[in-house]
Amino acid sequence: MGAKDASREEAAHIAALEDLQDPGWAWSEYKPSVSAPWDLARVGHLYRRAGFGANWAQLQEALSQGPGPTIDKLLQPQGDLQAFEREYAVYEGSAMSVNDLRAWWVRRMIQTPHPLLEKMTLFWHGHFAINGENVKNTGAMLQYVRALRGEALGSFRSMLNSVCRDPAVLLGVGSGASRKSMPNDNFAGAMLESFTVGPAVCSQTDVSEAARAFTGWFVLRGKVRYIEREHDGGVKRILGQSGNFTGEDVVRIVLEQDAAARAIVTKLYKYFISEGQEPDAKLIAPLAESFAGDYNILKVVETMLRSNIFFSQAAYRGRIKCPVDFALGIVNAFEGMVSTTHLAEDIAALGQDLYHPPTIRGWPGGRGWISSATMAGRSNLAWSLLGGSKPYGERLDPWAVAQKHGASSLESAAEFLVGLLLGDDAADGDCETLIKTVQAAGGAKPQEQLRRFAYRITSLAEYNLC
Amino acid sequence: MDYTRREFLRGAAGVSIAGSYVTGAALASKAESGGSRSDKSGNILVVVQLSGGNDGLNTVVPYGDDEYARNRPTLRLPQDQLHKIDSYIGFHPRMESFMRLYKAGHLSIVQGVGSPNPDQSHENAMRMRHTADTEDLYRQRGWLGRAVDNEYPAGRVDAPAVFVGPIARPFALNAGSVIVPSIRSSGDMVAVQIPGQTGAASEKRTAGGDESLPDFVRQCRAKAYANSKRIEAALAGASGSADYPAAKLAGDLRTAAQLIRAEVGIRIFFVEIGGGGIGGFDNHANQKGNHCSLVGQLSESIAAFVGDLRRDKLLDRVLLMTFTEFGRTVKENGRRGTGHGIAGPAFLVGGAVSGGLCGRHPSLTDLQNGSLKMGIDFRRVYATVLDGWLGIESQAVLDKRYEPLDFLDT
Repeated sequence: MGAKDASREEAAHIAALEDLQDPGWAWSEYKPSVSAPWDLARVGHLYRRAGFGANWAQLQEALSQGPGPTIDKLLQPQGDLQAFEREYAVYEGSAMSVNDLRAWWVRRMIQTPHPLLEKMTLFWHGHFAINGENVKNTGAMLQYVRALRGEALGSFRSMLNSVCRDPAVLLGVGSGASRKSMPNDNFAGAMLESFTVGPAVCSQTDVSEAARAFTGWFVLRGKVRYIEREHDGGVKRILGQSGNFTGEDVVRIVLEQDAAARAIVTKLYKYFISEGQEPDAKLIAPLAESFAGDYNILKVVETMLRSNIFFSQAAYRGRIKCPVDFALGIVNAFEGMVSTTHLAEDIAALGQDLYHPPTIRGWPGGRGWISSATMAGRSNLAWSLLGGSKPYGERLDPWAVAQKHGASSLESAAEFLVGLLLGDDAADGDCETLIKTVQAAGGAKPQEQLRRFAYRITSLAEYNLC
Repeated sequence: MDYTRREFLRGAAGVSIAGSYVTGAALASKAESGGSRSDKSGNILVVVQLSGGNDGLNTVVPYGDDEYARNRPTLRLPQDQLHKIDSYIGFHPRMESFMRLYKAGHLSIVQGVGSPNPDQSHENAMRMRHTADTEDLYRQRGWLGRAVDNEYPAGRVDAPAVFVGPIARPFALNAGSVIVPSIRSSGDMVAVQIPGQTGAASEKRTAGGDESLPDFVRQCRAKAYANSKRIEAALAGASGSADYPAAKLAGDLRTAAQLIRAEVGIRIFFVEIGGGGIGGFDNHANQKGNHCSLVGQLSESIAAFVGDLRRDKLLDRVLLMTFTEFGRTVKENGRRGTGHGIAGPAFLVGGAVSGGLCGRHPSLTDLQNGSLKMGIDFRRVYATVLDGWLGIESQAVLDKRYEPLDFLDT
């Protein structure tokens, strides 16, 4: 790269940063322009962040309809959601183990008419991160994820209140019994330090006092019970307020803190926009203020998805795909269905064991997903999905999909895959080199060659970014 | 004591680290040279979990005490078949391989290892061994997870630890910031090579340098390919022909040996014998045959592993330790089995162990709930391994200082 190019790029970079400092620009609705066109790259970006990737028909429909209607549909899908939920209620109700639930959830993510809802459920699973290993109750774990889904795009206030009564959450943090004579700090600590305001805002005393407010709640035979005589009715002092508070009061008090709204909005920013640097406080402020007013999750997610900053270079490929995104991006692009019992297990081996987040803080994410070991694991998973042999078989067939969408030669099919998987956006010359090496290896039918090419694309850095 | 709460606080302190990754080049050089504690940074730990609660008394048998035979009318092992260590104890008849390792000075026995807060439930007792916390069952991370979090706070190109085996990853490896993968064989660490693939990264690096996300991914991918080649070379070389018994544990240890030989940066391997859940070493009835088979597998698999490593002069870099959730009752029950107990032996194997016995054998008459009392807190074994072998500050992992044991050569 010449010096001139470098300085031009630098100038563009600075300009972009300046825009990011301006919350007014950042959160205004994105309108396609010459410098930020509504192209395959941006459509792919939207589907990666708001869902688990897309197939060709979805990408094309979004391209022709424009950002507004596409985002409308992601927020409020038109399909028969209730029928889908009824169907999955039967499947999940029949699960014999948490690993069965895990497989059903992966299947749900692939088949759902409302991918954003599952993406948000996954977000909340990483926020109220309960490890099934600590709960050892399949029914309670199902109920817990259902409750998260129920409010995933609803009210954060309702979600917090339901979390206080959730047997899996209480068991998972070690608060199955909270007696008047022995208040249990575990749930109160999780509530204040991890779920809401954060440790910078609350003290150990706040936590101990909140624990007293939560006394009386027990998990008995998998059900939450309130035992009045075990409740400490005395006066507690929590985050500057005094009163004979109950658990509901604690929820009210924490939600009165600006820090709670800021923490959630910041986390959503990292999930939807960029996980690299801590976002500027000025950028977060307008959304946090609005969120603190009603704790409406859908509204803040909608603002983010429609925003300039969401479609800017600051967000584009600014996250590392989690194993779920990596695997489902392949499955969804090739319009197939594979054994999700296997897939959930393979995803777990790459570090994302659904229903078993490692700690109450969820998965570390970011660069933590990637090491030489997990990159080898990702390669092997991609090839077992795309290679046409066991355990996933021939369910995913890049050649058939490319032909279905008009490709007739290996070259045109390869070009199609670059559009489908990378939004036509790879480092200069990479894809040309890949297709040449695949062709040069020869000795195989186009179907086999395209399998190899698709696999090679998934090993590119670009495919591993979200 | 409120450890879970402290975990939250510590986790919070760790959050800021995520934004300040060490550059890839610096990481790679750390991986090569091993950072500050260069003397121990190449050392490798292999942890073997004996699931179900091993009967220590029928593993290292105190035949010299009449109480042993008296308490074990059907389970007692014939004295003349034991591999005698001294006039008091001897290895189970099927543990001839351990006797050889012991004579060669490659095996230390820590006697009377137990928990100060013994728990009769498999789940609770195992959780305590996994978290190294005997008070709080809801501790968020395992002891090895905390060790890798502390040692590699800024991430690492190579995974610092892996679990090898077909069961769910044991909680000991539960980390807050590091992903600890599960593998079933070395093949899982070999990135598939398809025709036409050179293995070399085809993409150019962007101008941004090592700190950009794409370059970080490329760097890890390039290392994955380089590691794959080394693993394949290791598979084709000596370890391919090494003689291991057919036991599952032997297969998992063979995998560990292959990856150690390939030098792919893994410092902690975790393997398991007994099947993970209840079962395995948990013999409440008709214990003899099953236990005999398990200790035979244990000793032969580990001996094969040692032989394999020694051939390539790798034994001095590797320390293997065993643990189990609890010992068993001294007295057998009426069903030719034993109940859940407290203390039992741990084995330390490798080129750097001092060999011999560590700690006294617990009394067979001064019992607690019918079981041998704890002589050595299991966390002293962990602390010695962390400080003395891995060079990872044990106090930060285990919350306090435990007196080191003398099973390592100094």
